[in-house]
Parts: sequence; structure tokens; C-alpha cells
Amino acid sequence: MIEQILASGVVLTTPILLAAIGGLVNRQAGIVNIALEGKMLSGAFVAIVISAATGSWLAATLAAALASTLIGWCFSLTITRLGANMITAGLGLNVLAAGAIGFLMSYAYGSSGTLRLPDVALLPHVFPQSVESVPLVGQLLANLDPLTILAVVAIAVLPFLLSATRFGLWIRATGNAAPVMRSVGLKPKLLQEASTAFAGFFAGLAGAQLALASIGIFNEGLTAGRGFIALAAFYFGRDRPWQTAAACLLFGLLDAAQIRMQTVGLPPRLIGALPYLMVLVALVVSQMRSLRRTQ
Amino acid sequence: MTTIALGATDIRKSYGPVLANQGISLSVGPGEIHAVVGENGAGKSTLMRVLQGIERPDSGHVTVMDRDVSFGGPADALAEGIGMVHQEFMLAPDLSLLENLVLGDEPVRWGRGALALIDWKSAEAQGRELAERIGIEVDWHRRAGAAPVHIQQFVEIIRLLRRGTRVLILDEPTAVLAPQQVNELFDLVRRIREDGTAILFISHKIGEVMSLADRVTVIRQGKIAFSAAIAETTGEEIASHIVDGAKPVTDEVKRGTPGKAVLEVTGLSAATVEKSHPLYDISFSVHAGEIVGLAGVAGNGQIELMEALSGLRRSIGRVELAGVDLSGLGADRRRAAGIGYVSPDRRQEGLAIEASIEENTIAGSHRSRPISNGLWLERSAMKRVALERLSRLSVKYGALHDRVGSLSGGNQQRVVFAREIAVSPQLLLVSQPTRGVDLNGIAAIHGILRDFRDAGGAVLLVSEELDELQVLSDRIMVMVRGRIVGTLGADADRREIGRLMVMEGAGA
Repeated sequence: MIEQILASGVVLTTPILLAAIGGLVNRQAGIVNIALEGKMLSGAFVAIVISAATGSWLAATLAAALASTLIGWCFSLTITRLGANMITAGLGLNVLAAGAIGFLMSYAYGSSGTLRLPDVALLPHVFPQSVESVPLVGQLLANLDPLTILAVVAIAVLPFLLSATRFGLWIRATGNAAPVMRSVGLKPKLLQEASTAFAGFFAGLAGAQLALASIGIFNEGLTAGRGFIALAAFYFGRDRPWQTAAACLLFGLLDAAQIRMQTVGLPPRLIGALPYLMVLVALVVSQMRSLRRTQ
Repeated sequence: MTTIALGATDIRKSYGPVLANQGISLSVGPGEIHAVVGENGAGKSTLMRVLQGIERPDSGHVTVMDRDVSFGGPADALAEGIGMVHQEFMLAPDLSLLENLVLGDEPVRWGRGALALIDWKSAEAQGRELAERIGIEVDWHRRAGAAPVHIQQFVEIIRLLRRGTRVLILDEPTAVLAPQQVNELFDLVRRIREDGTAILFISHKIGEVMSLADRVTVIRQGKIAFSAAIAETTGEEIASHIVDGAKPVTDEVKRGTPGKAVLEVTGLSAATVEKSHPLYDISFSVHAGEIVGLAGVAGNGQIELMEALSGLRRSIGRVELAGVDLSGLGADRRRAAGIGYVSPDRRQEGLAIEASIEENTIAGSHRSRPISNGLWLERSAMKRVALERLSRLSVKYGALHDRVGSLSGGNQQRVVFAREIAVSPQLLLVSQPTRGVDLNGIAAIHGILRDFRDAGGAVLLVSEELDELQVLSDRIMVMVRGRIVGTLGADADRREIGRLMVMEGAGA
């Protein structure tokens, strides 16, 4: 039981974590990316289509990431160059992505809601099946896919990237005081655009993982609010990599536990709401914490 | 041998019908400190924007190191070695001082481009060396927002020097400093001058100009009104040119005759946001017919104390107004009890800047008769009340329905006072009343405060201008790190006030 929850918890954590990595870098540069959801969905759609067409999970994953990068970059232009409100633009992009994908599905594939394509190549497992015999984490290791490993590596590298590289310093300075960036001759808008493209890249990976980790079927409700859970995760982790990762893992494990509990016979819809309720609780707690600090 | 480090020749710049600069020429040579003075709106800032490449002049040209240059943007001016220290410091508050120092020109340990690794060791060595050269000490790992203001300012100057600045423009650099810190700044500026750096010093304090500058230029209404070597002029002469030959309106110092206590504060404490100081165990009183000044280096809790007293910030301890306990009450109840509040932030808090003059003048009185009849606002009563209030303080305006933001700073502030004084408060809490107000406006606002006091009102006054506090106040309290560290008579030596302002170890 614990083994299974652990294994599926990690699988469920990965897309949230990938999206949160992009989102936290984006927010450190001063942009609250509410459109992670839409970019994840686009990534998932592209991943399925390309995977079916090429039979390569790698090509599909890269295509998903690049498509979302492009979407993210265009999205950031509306904010930095055209002065759109970032929340409104983000909500708009989420609606647009869902609508455009729905349209493409019925127009190109004649299907509504769910897209099943033949020969979808799923993400490979990194370790041979024999690791399953390892106690407790055996199942987890056996199910491990390359994107989960990438997410963990990214989280481990991120603090260093943010503190020791020029790019990291510029990102932090942009979010903290954009006029200062301008006064020293740097271009904060460019940094915001780059960080939003970065967030798009990781949201695309998150989408690819959702689509290709196990089922290989695209569904309009595939992301199920995970983009927003990622948003909650980096708010809860106050944009710090490790804390954000911990929040993601918490949400992932809850999600896994929730699926287990449904099989036990508890009302599924009620239990299904649990992760979202936890997000709400987490945000209230973190807000109360910061209020207490300031009073 | 360079003779002109930075020069402007016949600069003209207009914004629509407003002729901001009408043929201004001035220059500063290497190793020279040139002061530029003038009232708000005289055209100083436009000229500085041109010299920094932020604005393109309509005609005229800029000279750097004896060469004519044409700036495409601020980056070009920076590349030519022109650096400006702004009134609002240009440091990212959540980054460390060291990170701020190297931002935009980071020493690299490995790699190239955006992903290059920053060499923090050599960055710190550079910072230490520069700080030593100009004779200061800096804790480079401190968060910039938590460093004292004068250190922030020094770091900004060091940052410019590190990037090869040969012309340093200082925009009202002393506005936020205590007298001792001003001396430190001036020593530092003189040392920078010795290295051959040219310095443009923008100020409106004639005493500072006389003590620091080698040369002074007065700008009035977009033109050069006067220019001379400091050795060949006097403070009075400069002052007379600032205000168009007329004798400047001088404040007559007249003290009040305090009556019974109006405001009594006992043991007031308040937590504050992390970027400033919490208030700790503050007790004092303000009497009728008395102006009490609150001095302190910016960010030591003065503004927070005003907010706590006005009910905008939660606090514990006892606050009494004429014997009535107001502790724990919110801003509306305190207003009703007789506390008026003049915010330091006129544009955000003092006025609804997009609303009309009329609406701003009657705001707060709109909930009761005669303006409200319970259901809607009586337009005619509203107009009558507004006109009466505005004429009482002789506010100059076009039409009642004009945006209040279209008025000059001085007239905006008069609108605030017209509104606050009209409801006859017993106590006025006034913060930074003359910030961004021209000289004649300042005299008028001082007059309003004195009249209010002479009519028996009590005033608590916060100002970063020590001169203003000394001219207006009957007593001066000094605040350091959220505590009141001393109270002095208004005639106290300003060095004594300054000593208290920078008192160390006063905080917890």
C-alpha cells in the first residue's frame, strides 16, 4: 500500500514539480504565471500528436517543450510590450489554449473530448524491471521516467543557478526592482520574456510527462488544474526551490492517496477534491505565516 | 588636457506648450563640483534627463570630454561615463549590497554570456578596495534594504565609480541624511573630486551649495538666471536669483504659547513591516497651540508613528485626545474624534489624484449634512462647501472639476490642508508637508501650520528637513529605530539634534 502510494505519488508529483520550477523562476523575475495550466495542456497535446507521428518519446517531449516555450514567449510579449495585465492575460491564455485544442481535435481528428492515436510511444522506464525487488522504493524506482529525473536534477541545480550565475542575478534583480536593472544598463523586459519562455519550456515538459507517463491518451481535462496547483506550490514555497519541491511532493502524495481511497469505497468526488482543498489550506497557512511576521 | 568633462550647449526642450529648457548652457570640468539650483519645475530635471540620454533635446548639443556626443538612450550616457545618483536610491532592496554593486557588470569566474559564473570573491575585493579609496566601510553581505540610507547612497556612488563614471550627477543627495551623514557624504565627494571626477550637484539648500561647490548655476523658468564661481558670490545673491530678483519669502520664526495637553501617548508600541523599525514604548504629549517636530533619519519609524496615531496602523498602548481614550480605534473614529492627517505621500494617500479638486476638498465630509442628505449627495452644497474651503486657504485652481493632479505640488498640498483643517480638528498629524513644493508654496504652507497653531491647534510634524523643523516647531523630539531618544527646545544646536539622530545602540 505505502509502496504503491509512494510510487504513484512521485509520478503525480513530476508534472506539478516541472511546472512549478518554471513558475518560480518566472515569479522571481516578477511575473506571476497564471497560464501554466494552458501551457501544460498545449504541451500534452503536442506530445501525443508528435509521439504518434514519430514513434519517439524524445521527439515528442522536445516538441512539447518547444511549443510551450513559444507560447510562453508570445504570452510574455503581451505583458511586457503591450502592457497587458498579467493575470487577465494568463486567464485568457488558459481559455485560448483549451479552446484551440478542442477545435483542433474536432477539426483534424474528428474527436471530441478525448484523443486516442495509434502507436503513441510512452516515456521509457529508466531502470530495469528487476529493481522492483528493492524494499519500499522498489516500485517507485521501477516506474521512474527520465522527466522525473530531470525535474529532480533541475531542482538541485536551480539554487546554484539563481545565486551564482549572471542570469540568476538578473532574474532576481528584475523581480525585485526593474528600474534598478534599467539604471545599470540591463533590460528587465528581456529577462521577463526569457523567464516566461523558460516557464513555458518546463510547463511543456510537464504536459509531456502527463500525457506520456502512463496512458498515452489525450483528454481535454488531462491537466485537471495541476498548473494552478504548481502555482500554489511555489507561492507556498515562497519561490525557493527546495521548499517548492517539498510542497509539490506533498500535493503529489495527497493525490496518490486520494486515488487509493477511492478504491476503498469513499465517495470519489469528495475525495477527489482533497488535493485542491489542501492547496487552499496551504495558501491560507502560508499567508497567515507571513502576516504574523509583519505584525 | 580635458577642459569640459560634461557640457550642455543651448539645450532646448519643450513638452507641448511647456518650454522646459529654453537655451541652457553649462559645463563642468574634471575635478570640479558644479552646483545646479532652482525651484521645482524650473527645468533642472529636464536638463538632467537630457544629460543622461533619457530625453532627446529639441535642439542644442551635449559635450563629453571635449567631444560632441549624441545619446540614443541612457545606456549611451552610461558608456560615456556619466552616472547619476537619484533621489530614490537605485538599489534592489532584496539583493545584497555586493550583488547590487556588480549588477550589470559582473566579474566572471567561468564561462561567458548569461550563464557565466560570477566571481564573488573578486567582486568583494573590488568593493572593499573602492570603499577604502573613498574612505568608508561597507558590510557587503547585508541586504541592501536593511542597510542605513547613507550606506545605500555610498554603495550607489561606488557602483558608478566602479563602472568608470567620470561625471557624477548627484540629485538632492542630502535630502534623506542626518547632518553628520551629510558631512561624511561631502568628505567623500571631495575625495572623488580629487581623483579628477567631475560632479554636478543638484540641490536647493544654499548652505550646502556654498560649502561644497566650486561653481553654481541657477536655473529659473527654463533659463540660466545666474552663474558664478562660489568664491565670487554669496548665499543671498544665489537665493535672490532663484526667486526672480524678488526678496524670497522668509519664514519669521515665531513660537507658540502651549496650553493644555491635547494628545497624550503612553507606552505606544507597534510592530511594522520588516523593512522599517517597530515602534517601542513611545510616550509623549502635544499641547494646544504647540507644534512638536519629530526629527530622525528617514526610515526610523517617524512615518509609522504618524500612521499608528492616525489609526492607519495597529498599535498597543494608550492614545488620548483631550482626555478621551482613542486606543484601539480605527482611522474613521479617530478622525471623527478630531485628528487630522496629512500624509507624506500626497499622490497615493493624501489625495485621490485622478478625482476632481471638488471631490478631494470635501472627501470625508460627504457622509453627513449638508453634503449628504442620507440618500445622495447634494451637488449644490458640495460645491458651496468646496469653494468656501478652497478660498479660505487661497488655493489657486482653474475649475472645481479639474483633476486635482493637474495642480502644482504646493496647491495640491493646500487642497489637503483645506480639507483637513475645515473640520476643525484638535490635532493635525503632518508628515513631509513641503516635499515637492516650491519656495513660495513652502512659505504658504508654513503659514497655514502657524495659523492653525495660533488658533489653539496642536500639531505633530514630521520632516526630513531639519531647517523646516527648527523654523516651525516649539519642541523637537528625535526618533531613532522606533524610539524617542530625546526632546530638545526648538533653538537647540542642530549639531546636537544631529548627534541624537545618529545615536547608536538606541535600538533593542
